[in-house]
Amino acid sequence: MRKWIWLVAIVLLFSACADKTSYVKVVDDSIKGDIAIEKISERINSESGLKELQVLGENETDKYMKLRYRVVWFDKDGFEIESIASNWVELPVYKNANFTIHIVAPNKNAVDYRLFINK
Amino acid sequence: MKRFTTIILSALLAAGLMSGCADKTERIDIHDDKGDQVMGLDYRDFNQAAAEAVQSMLKSGALDKKSGDRYVLAISRVTNDTMQHIDTDQLIKKIRVELLRSGKVVVTTAVSANGAEDKMSKQARELREDDEFNQRTVQEKGQLIAPDMSLSGKILQRNVRMDDGRQQVEYYFMLSLTEIKTGLAWWEGETIIGKRGSGKSVSW
Repeated sequence: MRKWIWLVAIVLLFSACADKTSYVKVVDDSIKGDIAIEKISERINSESGLKELQVLGENETDKYMKLRYRVVWFDKDGFEIESIASNWVELPVYKNANFTIHIVAPNKNAVDYRLFINK
Repeated sequence: MKRFTTIILSALLAAGLMSGCADKTERIDIHDDKGDQVMGLDYRDFNQAAAEAVQSMLKSGALDKKSGDRYVLAISRVTNDTMQHIDTDQLIKKIRVELLRSGKVVVTTAVSANGAEDKMSKQARELREDDEFNQRTVQEKGQLIAPDMSLSGKILQRNVRMDDGRQQVEYYFMLSLTEIKTGLAWWEGETIIGKRGSGKSVSW
């Protein structure tokens, strides 16, 4: 039994230390308390074979905000994939409401991403 | 003479001062341009319209060929129905590049609404009659690939005079992706960009 506990502990330790290759980051400190990232969903579209990313967040303030986001995609070797999606895109965020960012990878080679949200 | 010298020196001094006060030209940081908006269309508007169109096309599944192969896309007419002198390639080129990168589409330059974009595909075939060329290096007949899909569209402008004398300019980027075999539009998209500014601004 003790062996199993150790094994689980080691696996958990390694998974925590593993490189986080894909992530969503709120860039500007001044809005970090204003918005909450609630759920990040990923899937490979069975028709297109392209990775899809959906981020569900919430504007926790009483004011409408015009935010921006950009996503940078990487291939399996960690090389950046040039894409028009790397430019900042406007994101309207209504007061006390959820917002969704739904992005499709630029091609099948795109496996990892970094999504940046800014004001 | 002394008066003449004084006038010349004053003029030179004024010119020097004015050139010193003139705004310096700076290069735009196109990756994070926080410069003021203009009433006309600038590259930021084209970037936004192109990015939205490509994302919408990829999400729609209209470019997913069942065999997993790529569609051959021809560029049809994209009409500039604004009051500005716009080369519609500013929009279409960005879309083409991104679609090509997607691996879903390959664009033909041998046929388009305005004739071949690259006339060399046809001109190189005229070498068939030329004895100076090794005929084995000349393209055989029946090698060009006809398009499966066509991208067409229109950029519209609508000016609205507001009650307070200001002006609102609305731009509509409307695009259609048509399957040539059936003539059916498999995808259609519209991006609206609105600007509001001084009534004295000229948006053409």
